[in-house]
Amino acid sequence: MIVVQQKPLDRIRQMIADYDKILILGCGTCATVSFAGGEKEVQALASILRMADKAKGGGKQFLEHTIKRQCEWEFVDEIEPMVKEVDAILSLGCGIGVQAIAQRFPDVPVLPGLDTCFMGLPQEHGLFSEMCAACGNCILDLTAGICPIARCSKSLLNGPCGGSHDGKCEVSPDLPCAWQLIIERLTKLGRLRELEDIKPPKDWSTSAAGGMRTIDRSDLRITSQDATPQGHEPN
Amino acid sequence: MKSKSKLEKLLESGHFAVTGELGPPPSADAEIIKKKAKYLKGCVDAVNVTDGQTAVARMASWAACLLGKEEGLEPTVQMTCRDRNRIALQMDILGVAALGINNILCLTGDHQSFGNHPMAKGVYDLDSIQLIKMVKDMRDEKKFQCGDEMDVEPRLFIGAAANPFADPFEYRVFRLAKKVAAGADFIQTQIIYNVEKFAKWMEAVREKGLHEKVKILAGVAPIKSVGAARYMQTRVPGMDVPDAVVERLRGVPKEEVSREGIKLCVDIINQIREIPGVAGIHLMAIEWEEVVPEIVEQVGLLPRPQLS
Amino acid sequence: MADNSLRPPCQAACPIQQDVRGYINLIAEGEFDEALRTIRKTNPLPSVCGLICAHPCETECRRGQVDQPLAIAALKRFATEYGHDDGAEPQTGAKRAEKVAIIGSGPAGLTAAHDLARMGYGVTVFERGTAPGGALRAFIPEYRLPGEVLQKDIERIVALGVEIKTNSELGKDFTLSELKNEGYSAVVLALGLHLSRGLNISGVELDGVLLALPFLREAKLGAGKTVSGKRVIVIGGGNVAVDVARSALRLGAGEVHMACLEARDEMPAFAWEIEAALEEGVKLHCSKGPKSILCSETEVAGLECMEVKAVFDEEGRFNPTFYEEKVSALDGDVVIIAIGQAAELSFLEDTTIKLNQRGQLVFDPDTLATSEEGVFACGEVISGPGTAVQAMASGRQAALAVDCYLRGEQMAAPQPDGRKDVGELLATTAEEIKRLERREMPALALKERMGNFNLIELGYTEIQAVKEAQRCLRCGAGAEYLEDKCAACLTCVRVCPYGAPVATIAGSIDIRADQCQSCGICIVECPARAIVFRQGEDSQIRERVEAAVTEASLSGAEPVVIGLCCSYGAFATSAFAEFFRDNYKPGIRIVKIPCVVKIDTTHLLKAFELGADGVFVVGCLEEDCPYRMSTFWAERRVAAVKKNLDEIGLGGDRLEMYTLSDPTVQKFDEIVTEVTTRVRQLAPSPMRNRREEA
Repeated sequence: MIVVQQKPLDRIRQMIADYDKILILGCGTCATVSFAGGEKEVQALASILRMADKAKGGGKQFLEHTIKRQCEWEFVDEIEPMVKEVDAILSLGCGIGVQAIAQRFPDVPVLPGLDTCFMGLPQEHGLFSEMCAACGNCILDLTAGICPIARCSKSLLNGPCGGSHDGKCEVSPDLPCAWQLIIERLTKLGRLRELEDIKPPKDWSTSAAGGMRTIDRSDLRITSQDATPQGHEPN
Repeated sequence: MKSKSKLEKLLESGHFAVTGELGPPPSADAEIIKKKAKYLKGCVDAVNVTDGQTAVARMASWAACLLGKEEGLEPTVQMTCRDRNRIALQMDILGVAALGINNILCLTGDHQSFGNHPMAKGVYDLDSIQLIKMVKDMRDEKKFQCGDEMDVEPRLFIGAAANPFADPFEYRVFRLAKKVAAGADFIQTQIIYNVEKFAKWMEAVREKGLHEKVKILAGVAPIKSVGAARYMQTRVPGMDVPDAVVERLRGVPKEEVSREGIKLCVDIINQIREIPGVAGIHLMAIEWEEVVPEIVEQVGLLPRPQLS
Repeated sequence: MADNSLRPPCQAACPIQQDVRGYINLIAEGEFDEALRTIRKTNPLPSVCGLICAHPCETECRRGQVDQPLAIAALKRFATEYGHDDGAEPQTGAKRAEKVAIIGSGPAGLTAAHDLARMGYGVTVFERGTAPGGALRAFIPEYRLPGEVLQKDIERIVALGVEIKTNSELGKDFTLSELKNEGYSAVVLALGLHLSRGLNISGVELDGVLLALPFLREAKLGAGKTVSGKRVIVIGGGNVAVDVARSALRLGAGEVHMACLEARDEMPAFAWEIEAALEEGVKLHCSKGPKSILCSETEVAGLECMEVKAVFDEEGRFNPTFYEEKVSALDGDVVIIAIGQAAELSFLEDTTIKLNQRGQLVFDPDTLATSEEGVFACGEVISGPGTAVQAMASGRQAALAVDCYLRGEQMAAPQPDGRKDVGELLATTAEEIKRLERREMPALALKERMGNFNLIELGYTEIQAVKEAQRCLRCGAGAEYLEDKCAACLTCVRVCPYGAPVATIAGSIDIRADQCQSCGICIVECPARAIVFRQGEDSQIRERVEAAVTEASLSGAEPVVIGLCCSYGAFATSAFAEFFRDNYKPGIRIVKIPCVVKIDTTHLLKAFELGADGVFVVGCLEEDCPYRMSTFWAERRVAAVKKNLDEIGLGGDRLEMYTLSDPTVQKFDEIVTEVTTRVRQLAPSPMRNRREEA
């Protein structure tokens, strides 16, 4: 899932400073699971912002709404009647959501109430860690299911580096050394020899470094022509 | 001979090599290089010039190498994967070779969070093993990483780092073998203070016959102060400084600590020379280059052999 | 008010479908008046039931799987003693022209009368005895049901407009056709069973052989055959037999023995009555059949018994068989036969009311109609011996039947509750529930009971009652899952101390209603607001908090301080009631929260947003709370809001949480003083519009 975090309150207040009527828009998927932007967080933030505003003399109005996902046009369309009434939208969705709303409603400033941090999972309740870097060319079959791109601080393909100590990355004792984990698991699977092969330099063109990526699935796309049943004259 | 490197020649002729290290200044001051070079000239066979050590921005290694060469040193340029992508790396490799620098040390590089620009984007397009292979292919196949051919190849003597003290311990020799397979000609280890552990590592190395495929230079360094010892023990990634070492320095009066630190280094070198398979030492007296001559002398390695 | 609850086993087991869960939880929160109102909605004889009900609800109570079932009857009694109602009964229907005659004022007749009066009919109850109440008045001993308690309930029914005519016996003082001529449009025969069955064995004609019902009647009237100093043998194993035995003891019998056909666990008498009898010294002889009454000259000398082989046959019918050669004898001076009661219906022989070959009333099981048009029957006269609450249910059915008849409508099939029934409590869930011992009913000591017929059970005190009521698991009234809002974050699965929510393979969550303990942790923690309380407690709390701040602000007093206080345990007693009152202190409102674990961060934030200068939370110590993890969650949420308040410059010291152990009134008062003093020193909240600015 996409793991997100609410921006510090000061930063949010800074962003909304110039606007009077603001829609705080939550997202019912990743932002909810991240405890950062679900309906409950929207409620809490609205209360806090109202109080912060009133303490400074007031004048702002905050609307609250949550949609199932901010990355689907049909759900985003839901807010159209509200958008007419507000000066700005404070999105508590991930960066994708913020941009979708901005794209759909280009006349209204859309502000990011969250930082989109990484793709990861809760290792335990409340503890999220990054797992995938979306490099676009998954080699988890070669690394026993542990991603060196996302979980090695240097994204080594022939790790570990000389800084691995006690199973931890040199960057922080809280970070496990991904290559240590890979070696341990391959050893357990009896496949350590596979690491003898030198993995060649990675093709980074499929990752974010290659530029904005698009997937065009012609087998899924629905055009207006496709909507017309076979054998009928289109109008 | 793979290159015009004096170090290569020396090692190939079976001499016990001594390499040194020189850290460039965090400024455009060329004089410092010249000053340091003076201490090292004649007591070591080649000089590593560090490249953004601990992710701190300093004068580029290749530039300091050139300055050092002008002072009569045999420089070893260091290149990390942290700061340059494969395009920049190949450009710099061609450049240093054209400038007559004969030795290159291929490193992954300390993570940018350690240095004075922790917000910088770490590049890591390649890792150290891929870099070694890339240099080897440039030299021996005359090919760029993408497969394109070149007319005049960089004839460099390729070095890599090894850390007998990093984890996982069992895997270290495995990784060394990988570096050898990638094309490493010589190895410089992390600074050794735990001789016992190093000896164990050498045992595993010899078992695999790697000491015959690659020249291993043991890293050593004198310690200036108790504080320096503690710093290395706790703050430098991949270093193993036994408590006994720190205690040894603590056991002498403050004004004698640096002297003791030199003695310590000499003792360690002597112990290391007893270990079969070690082809030389890599003496790192960072910011203390002036003590290099006396250390090399005390271990009986002066004068350095001069080969034609 | 939303109610998506499941039907709890207590309500399902009750013949009159009392909202047990409802009134128990009202008692737990100190709402004794509302509890009594809830009871009275479906029970016209609550004081009686509180003392003598068979309480099948307690048998089904799922708390029994954890430690002991709730003392539901005792709590009902408590509500009748501590709850006040204004005496007015809501009429459910407009006044109707017809009048109905009820023959018999036992529990069946009284319930039929009550229901019909509520529906708007004119009702007259004809009671042949000198005082109304049927068997409740005539036979049930005073130490179980004092006459004045019964009278309290009867007076309430009379206040509805029901007329009770005593000393009026059908077949003697008036006939059915006379009733018709007097304009009664329907008659309900609630005659009960007033004939004590006899035994056809040798010796029954002796002087010292008595029948149970007359003996009990005389014991109640204070007159009759003395058993003082005598050895008494009671034949029978039912409640009447136990009543006879225990009454005999109180009348001074030297020894009292009970001989019954049944084995101990087969005896039809209430288990708790049997235990009390044994405690009081009655000697029990099970599996003994009466063979003959032994005599010496003309006096009773004892009872000859035979060993019982089996009481019931293969089809479960009452069909006792004996080892006729295994004979024993019990010595005794008096033998009282308490083997069952029968209906006195001989007077109907000359009427058109049909009886079957066994002399029992012929009736339609759905409409309770007899063969005579407009004449219905209910209670033990048609069901045979049963409990008072069963008779009440029958009376209720008769009232419905009469109503349908008088309106010319078909009697509809009984409306099902419509809710799903609560299922099984898994052992794995029961293990996670904190053990809380059932509060013992204070009772007269054994020696205090003898020589008098004083009511034995003394009734719960307030603190006993509220603590006992707090043990209720609130079966079926817990968390409800809203699938369309769920983000499948699994928080509910992880935070529930009881393991009630489970993730299904399909990816949705099943918050198993049968396992949910209604604590509310998941409801607050759910980031998608996809879980609500089945009976809307979450919205209620929100509304209460908002209303409290609004009202306190309106008073104009400063500072405005809201306290969110647990409403259970000692907080539910009347000593605490003053704190919850609207006029407790100007500017200060204490809001009842059924366990502080239900407090959300947004409740606290809203309170401040609406203008509270200060908010405090008072909960119980973790070890005193029946729920688990309540203090942990409440403290965490309070800490989070304190941080928020600091961030916006309002100041986290406006909010504080306290825990009180078995709180005393003074401690709470100290907290209120401390909070108010502290808050007064802070600047007034900028959230509230000051009067001057308004």
